[in-house]
This record gives sequence, C-alpha cells and structure tokens, in this order.
Amino acid sequence: MEENIRTLLDTARKDIAVARDDSKILEQIRVRYLGRKGELAQFFKDLPKAPPDRRPDIGKLLNEVKIELEQQISEALDRAGAQQNRPKTPFDVTVPGRKPLVGRLHPITQTMLEISRIFHRLGFETVEGPEVELDYYNFEALNIPKDHPARDMQDTFYVSEDIVLRTHTSPIQVRVMEKRQPPIRIIAPGKTYRRDSDVTHTPMFHQVEGLMVGDNISFGDLKGILTIFVHQMFGQNIGLRFRPSFFPFTEPSAEVDIQCVICGGSGCRVCSQTGWLEILGSGMVDPEVFKMVGYDPEVVTGFAFGMGIERIAMLKYGIDDLRLFFENDLRFLRQF
Amino acid sequence: MIVTVKWLRDFVDLRLSVEELIDRLTMVGLEVDAVHERFAHLEGVITARVELVRKHPNADRLRLCEVTDGSRRYQIVCGAPNVREGVIAPLALAGVTLPGGVTLREARVRGELSEGMLCSQKELGLGEDADGIWLLPQDTPIGAPLADALGGTDTILDVSITPNRADCLSILGIAREVAAICNSPLRYPSIALEETGPTIDSLASVTVENPAGCPRYAARLIQGVTIGPSPQWLSKRLEAVGVRSINNIVDITNYVLMEMGQPLHAFDFDRLAGHRIVVRSAQENERFTTLDGVERTLFDDTLLICDGQGPVAIAGIMGGLDSEISSDTRRVLIESAYFQPQSIRRSSKKLGLRTESSYRFERGVDPEGVIRALDRAAQLMMEVGGGEPATGRIDVYPNPIVMPTLALRVDRTNRFLGTDFKSSEMAGALRSIEMQVDDSDPQALRVNPPAFRQDVVREVDLTEEIARLLGYDRVPVSYPKSSGISAPQDPHLRMREEVRALLQGFGLNELVTYSFISRQALSKLRLPSDDPRLHPVEIMNPISDEQAVMRTSLIPGLIETAQHNLDHRNEDLKLFELSRVFIPSGEKPLPDEHYHLAGVMAGKRYSYPLYGGEEEVDYTDVKGVVEQTMDLFHLDGEMRYRTENVPPYMDPWRSASISYNGEIIGAVGQVHPEVEKAFDLKKKLLIFELDFDQVFARKRHHPMYKPLPKFPSVVRDMAIVVDESVPVQEPLDLILSQHEHLLEAIEVFDVYRSAQFGEGKKSIGYRLVYRALDRSLTDEEVNSIHTQMVKKVLNTYDASLR
Repeated sequence: MEENIRTLLDTARKDIAVARDDSKILEQIRVRYLGRKGELAQFFKDLPKAPPDRRPDIGKLLNEVKIELEQQISEALDRAGAQQNRPKTPFDVTVPGRKPLVGRLHPITQTMLEISRIFHRLGFETVEGPEVELDYYNFEALNIPKDHPARDMQDTFYVSEDIVLRTHTSPIQVRVMEKRQPPIRIIAPGKTYRRDSDVTHTPMFHQVEGLMVGDNISFGDLKGILTIFVHQMFGQNIGLRFRPSFFPFTEPSAEVDIQCVICGGSGCRVCSQTGWLEILGSGMVDPEVFKMVGYDPEVVTGFAFGMGIERIAMLKYGIDDLRLFFENDLRFLRQF
Repeated sequence: MIVTVKWLRDFVDLRLSVEELIDRLTMVGLEVDAVHERFAHLEGVITARVELVRKHPNADRLRLCEVTDGSRRYQIVCGAPNVREGVIAPLALAGVTLPGGVTLREARVRGELSEGMLCSQKELGLGEDADGIWLLPQDTPIGAPLADALGGTDTILDVSITPNRADCLSILGIAREVAAICNSPLRYPSIALEETGPTIDSLASVTVENPAGCPRYAARLIQGVTIGPSPQWLSKRLEAVGVRSINNIVDITNYVLMEMGQPLHAFDFDRLAGHRIVVRSAQENERFTTLDGVERTLFDDTLLICDGQGPVAIAGIMGGLDSEISSDTRRVLIESAYFQPQSIRRSSKKLGLRTESSYRFERGVDPEGVIRALDRAAQLMMEVGGGEPATGRIDVYPNPIVMPTLALRVDRTNRFLGTDFKSSEMAGALRSIEMQVDDSDPQALRVNPPAFRQDVVREVDLTEEIARLLGYDRVPVSYPKSSGISAPQDPHLRMREEVRALLQGFGLNELVTYSFISRQALSKLRLPSDDPRLHPVEIMNPISDEQAVMRTSLIPGLIETAQHNLDHRNEDLKLFELSRVFIPSGEKPLPDEHYHLAGVMAGKRYSYPLYGGEEEVDYTDVKGVVEQTMDLFHLDGEMRYRTENVPPYMDPWRSASISYNGEIIGAVGQVHPEVEKAFDLKKKLLIFELDFDQVFARKRHHPMYKPLPKFPSVVRDMAIVVDESVPVQEPLDLILSQHEHLLEAIEVFDVYRSAQFGEGKKSIGYRLVYRALDRSLTDEEVNSIHTQMVKKVLNTYDASLR
C-alpha cells in the first residue's frame, strides 16, 4: 500500500509539472487526486484494511502526501493566476513618474524658519517691527547717539533726518521692552538695510535678533542659549568660541565664532586661514538701553544677540556669492 | 590699526609666537584681521652695484652690465634707461619669483647670458615706479638681502579696533594689551629733553576762545631745525605701517601719532602771523584751503586753529597749505591737543574729510598723553632735525578732565557674569591695564581708570574689562531658569508660513527681491498721478536710482525678476513673493507697512513633455492658485472676480479685480500690453496680487463641522446656450439667489462653443445637486424645482436649452 501511495505521489507530481500552470488542468488534477472521490480519498477509505501495526505509518504518509499535493497545486494555481493577469506588452517600471510640480521656498526663508524653530523650542516668541524706522529706535535708544563713532559701524539709508531704513533688527528689542515687562524672551527676524554694495555686501539683507530679559540672567546664560543654538544649527560637534567685541547696546559684548564648516578649523580661504567663522554678535544688554525703556538695570539683566541670515545660509548651503540671493534666478532657487 | 611686531617689541617683551599673539589679542577683543610677513617675497633679491655697462652687441636698447655683490660678479642684460656704472640696485637672481608671477632663470637674451635681473620698484611689488631700475641710496651695503636694506623683515598685523577702544589706536596702546596678556611690564619710551633756548612764553602765545571744543592745547617750539629727508630708521618704520615719508619733521609727527596715538601738527613758526595761535570756531561759510590744495567752505561749528591773521588749520582734521613745513622752515611749533570728540566728528563728517588725525580725535585721545607726546616729538625732532627747544611748553588746560572713581561690587559682577572670580583676580586684571584699584574692601573695589580709557565710566565697563582679560572661556556655560510656558504664536506669521507652504506645493517658487525699487519702474505701471503708489517713501541717500524709493507694490520686482529669468532662458515661470510694501501715511511719521502677496506664471503648465506638458498656462491656472489660496483663510463672505476696477497695469480685457464682500482685495490676469512694452517683456505674463493683510483681517479661525448627509443626493444637469456676453457666473448667481434650500451645490461642468449654436453664442453646462437633510428626495420633487430653475435662467438670459 505504501508503495502505491508513493507511486501516486510521483504521478501527481509529474501531472502538476506537465500542467504548466494552466489553471483548468490544475483544477482537474486537484479533483483527480484530492477530490472527495479522488485517488487519495480512496486510500484513506482503504486504510482500515491495512494491517493494524502499519496503519499509523500509512496514515502519516497519506497525510504528508495530501499536504504536499495541496501545497503544490495551490502554488501552481497562484502562478497560473498571476500569468492570467499578464499584460500583452511588457510593463515598463522605469518610465519617469508624473511628478506633481513643487516649488521651493527661498533659501533665506528656509534658513530663517530653521533658526526660528530652534528658538521657538527654547521658548522664544517671534516678534516683528517696522523696516522704515525712527532714528530713535534704530540708534538713540540703543545707546548710539548722533555724532558717535559707533554710527560708522553701519552705513545708513536715511528717509529724513529722523527716519532711517533700519540697519539692524535691534530696534525691535526696544519696541518690545517699551510695551512689556520682563521676563522677555523674543526673537525678531526681518529685513535690514545698509548703504553698502559690493561682493560681500548687499544693501538689503536679513537678520534675526534675540532678546532675553529677566531676573539674574547672566553672561553664562547667554553662552548657554547660544551654544544650544549653534549646536542645533550646525551640529553637536561643532566647536565655538565667544570673543570680546563691541556693540553700543551690549556690555560685555561677544562675537560668536564657529569652527570653519568648510575646512574644519585647519584654515582655508573662506575663514581667511583663521579656522573660525564669525556668525553672530551678542552681549549683555547695556544698562543705558534698560534705562531708555524704563527698566531698572539693578533689578533686571538680560542678553541680546543678532545674526545675519545670508551669512548662515551661505555657510550652510556653500553659496559663494551673496548677490545670488536677490537675483532670484530659477536655476538658483530650484536648488534648495 | 597696522602694527609691526618689531615696533611692539620696543615697548614689551613678547614671549609669544606670532600665532599665539594673534590668538591672544583676538581673545581679548583686538581681532587680528590680517597678518603678513613684510618682504617675505623678496627672498633671493639682493643689493648689488653695477660695475660696468656696455652696449649689447645685438640689441640697440639693451645694455650688458657687470654687477657685483661684493664677492661675485654677475652678467646681467638690462633694458632700463637709468642703468649706470656705480649705481646700487636690487638684483633678483635665478630662482626668484617676482610678484608678477614670473620665475627668473639664467637665460640668453639676444645671444648674451643674463644671470638675473636688475629690478624696478614696480617689478618687486614695492611701488609704482616702473621707469627704470630702482636706484638705492649710495650708502646701501651691497651683497645683503634687499629686505634688510629696506628695514628688514617684520610681521605686520592688521588689528581691527572697535570704536570704544581709542586707546588701542597706537603701537603703545596695543603693546599695553600685550603686556597685560603676557603679564610683563610695559616700557614707555624714555623722554629726555634738554631745554636750552629762551622760554616759549617769550616767543609764542596760545589763546583758546572755545575751551569746550578744545579742552587742552599744548605746544612746544624748536628753533634752528634743518628740514631734510628722514633717516632710514624713521622712514622705514613709517613705510612698514603704510605711511609715506615726507620730511624729517613731518615724519616725526606721524611717528608719534603711530607710536602714541596722539595726532600732532607741526607749523612753520615763521609763517604764523603774530607768532600766536588762536583756537576758535569758524564763521559760517568761511573759506580755507587745506594742505591737500582743496578750498573748503566751513560751518559755524568747525573748530579752527588760527594765527594772528586767519586760519592755519582745521582743528584735529587737517592743516593748511600756508603754514606747512617746507624745506626752508627753521622754527617749528608743535601742536599737541585734546579736541572734543563730537565736535571733530561732526566737522569731519560735514566736510567729508577723514584723516588719521580726525579718526583718533573723534574717538577720544588721551588728555594726559598730550604732554608726553609733545615732549616725545620735540625730542625726536631734535634728534633728526637738530635745533634746540625753547624752554618750557605752553599748556592751556583750564578745566582738567577728571576720571571718575568707580565702585566694583565683586558679588554682583560674578552674578552678572555667572562666574566665581576672586576679588584679587578682578583687581589684578584691572591693574594689568593701568587701572588704579583700591581693594581695602575686597567686596567693593574702588577703581580709577586712566585718562586714556575714557570708555570706562561705569561699573559695567569694568565688568567687561574683567571678563575679557580673565577670558570669556572662563565663564561657565549655564542655562536660564525657564518658566516652562512657551510663547504664543503670532497668527499672522503662522498664516504667512502656511500660505508660503501652500504656494510651494502648487509649484510656485518663492522670491525675495529688494524692498527698494526705481521711481521709473513705478512710473511704468500706468498709475494715475494721484495714486498713493506713485508717492513712495524716498531714500535721501540711495546708492543708485535703481534703488531710490521703497516699493509701494510688489509688481515691478515681480516683473523684473520674471524678465531676468526669461533672459536666462528660464522660460517656464511660477513665482511668488509674500512681503511688505510701504505706503506713506499722512499723519504718522512712519509709513504703513503692509504684506502683499503677488505671483507670476508664464510658459508651460507642466514642464514634462512626456505627459502632454506642452500646454501653456492661462488665466484659469493663475486664478486657480488664487482661489485655492483664498480657501486657506476660510472666508465665508462673497468673493467676486469682475472686469471692473482692474488695476491699470493689467490688461483690462483679460484680467479681473478680486473683491470680497464688495471690497477690492486684489487682481488676477495678464500684464497690460503697454506695461509689457515699458518693461521690454518678451513674453505674456499672468500675474496675481493680493492685499495679504486685508485678506488676513477677514480670516475666520477655522471651519465649523457640518454633519455628513444621511440621505442621497439627486443630480440634475442644465445645459444652456447663451450669448457670449453672459459670464458663466451670472446664471449661477441667479440660481443661488433663489435660496432653494434643497439645492446643495452647483458647479460649471462644461463650457462649449460650436458653429451649431450660431455666431456669438456658447453653451454652458451646470450641475446642480439637490438634497434634503431629513429624507430621500423623489424625482417628482426634484424635477419640479429644477424645471423652475431652468425656466428662470432661460427667461433671464434669453437662453435656450442645448
């Protein structure tokens, strides 16, 4: 009996191979071997006639054969089904996709958003102010009186004797402090203007200003917040240093340099061989500025910072010509 | 400020390498912008004497020279007209690379060997003189490196000095910082002056009529000087810091200026009428010729130095032609003064005249250093020009400038910085830069800054000095206590971000163009003369006419950007800008700054030719963008696109104004043909413009939920043939105006033109969706309503059913 069962398995295997995934023939094969009145069913029916000591083995064999045939036929049927669906001409999966048209945000906008997001996570709020600004807010209230050499640091566009195109986003600091009481934690992004036009200057550019004022805000806190910013913007491993500098509205003042992102600090053309890149100015808010807005510098302290967006975008994207930002050539814009 | 390392070493023992020096200076706030080795490029160029000059056998204009370096002779072919036997000149030997980039080799010139090259100043990159070889002074030792003859190699640093640090505008000032860094003493130049002449008061007088403008005026007189060229040490030092040598006396004034930061002026005493100096303010429109030969018109706040007759110098800025030191000057009056910084700055600015002198006075020189510099100059002038000084000096200083005594609270300073510095450390730092510190109370130091630190007047100024000298890197990083409450988000800003993202998703690229434009560009927009956009905020001092006024519209920038791109063969344009325009407001001092949104489209709709992307964009594309953008604001009022009120820069036949609840908020369509012509556009542009702020003001916060319908809708189409003059919107509006509560929606599904409708006719298909919220509608019910609708439309528009 075992012999006959094995013969049946061989024959069935051959039949399945010969059927070549034709679903109709496969169906016939299934009926012939596995059907209720099929050949395998006959063996099951005859099982009680087998000698009792052989029965468990034969039963086991029958079950194995049944499972194998079921599986083979089912796989062949699957293949048959797949074949049936086959297109008359081959389907070319390499044809280009029908891409939805997608535009790009200007790299300045993208950089601005990235900077803003970092500070938003640190609890800073975005505030804006006028681009055509009173001399008072742009200079006087920031401890830059008329006839002060610090005015030379920023070549100014004048609209009238008292009105300028803001030369930095710092006037927003003053406007906010005039209206609110500490604690203050703001950033102020926007367009700024200086009367300067050459390879490294455009008469309009963008800055982000920051201000944090409260009880016992220290120079160490300034270092802390700006270190977080630099690490999130340029990478956790980037080196940075705080270097003494001068701004009329902060004291002490610090420029923040990062390790050159081009050469890694070994010195190259971009960093003028110094290994460092200046990326932002900062400092503790000068007591004179607090006095101008009616804060008591004995009671509150704070820090402010400002950075040029174009500069950061240039470093981030490796852009070597500032003027490209405002030409708005599509071949440029589409790269970001 | 240019400093040389050699000069610094006069005053301080430099125990640092150049690299360390640069780093340490930078880290105390004196950023080194550039550094170079002087004469590093002259390696291999030596001094040599021309021994013999012969004609070149094969060239009329060339000479064959025998040149010696004292031990060896070289044959050099030379074409310079000034080569003569006996002259000493720079000789560049084979292997030297000249600044022009040429590397010299031994070569045959027209058949004759030339072992090197006799050089001109220009060929060595040391001057403009290219007329012949550089004839060096006859006492120049030969066979030495040229660099040595020129004063030797040196390291030149360009140190960037912030406006508060007037004290560092001198070699001595920077040496003081170096001394503090190195913890080594600063050596002031020793001044020993033997006064042998008559007293100065018997020879000269000084009257200061304006002590506010000139708080201190000091002078010395030297008689019997001989004007001549400066000795080498003097001219070379000045050259090293970029100052041209003029004559011994003038050079000394410049030398002391560089060394001590005190500008001096030397007058020819015999050309000072009445042998007196009067310091007074100019009269308005008074005229004066400065020593650069320019006649200048002065202002009533210009401070003048006058003699008995009239002006001889603009105080602190520039001297005059008449009293200048000349070759026959015998008596020199040296002026050393402290002028009021603001006054010098104002005058310098008004006159458009900046000098090394005004640069320092306007930042504030050392009122106490005035005398030291005066004596130093007198001593050096005698060294280089002979003569003898009159006894004593004039020093008009009626109200001495007193530096304040400042209290420094050690605790507060540490809290402010976030540090843990000891009182003694703080005191040490301050003393290292010559501040006097009384530490009898170690918690409250009493500090007297020196007079040259006029920027140090408050406790916080001392805090800064301590921080920078002890090192910013010693301030530990800390984090402010957070309230844990994040700030609210500005809804306007958020909406701008959303609109930008949406337009980006529609395939538009964002522009950032200049806020200032040309008046001419505005005038191309065909605006009526009373349009506020034609009256922009003007910039008083624009860089160019192209950027002379603040934009009142985004359109010119948009068109010009489109044009730039078309010129560069970027032909398929989808661009937008969301930014501010500036409209002067009558009463307020500052203009109104509104956000506008504008966009432009041109060229192909879809730039993949593979998918039928050859079709050009049209009105419906740009209008579609506008409609979808408006959807973001969830407006619930009435949006209308009309041919009325189209802005003058748009084609009235192919554009629409956009209104919301009757108020104009923008426009969409084509650029007006005349505007196209004015901007020289090569392509039809479709544009849109929205007053973003106005739209935003009408924004609803968010949509309100409506329950999903429980019963099916019934759809009925209506295809009518009407006159072309009927806009598709009108019948639609008519149907809506019936307020049929079972009508849920209506849309245009087809616009079709065919000869069979007759001339000037078109067919419009409307799809109407009917639904009741509480039941399924029956056909009869819908049919009766729909028939009514059709009848109404047919009657109103004289239409027929298709």
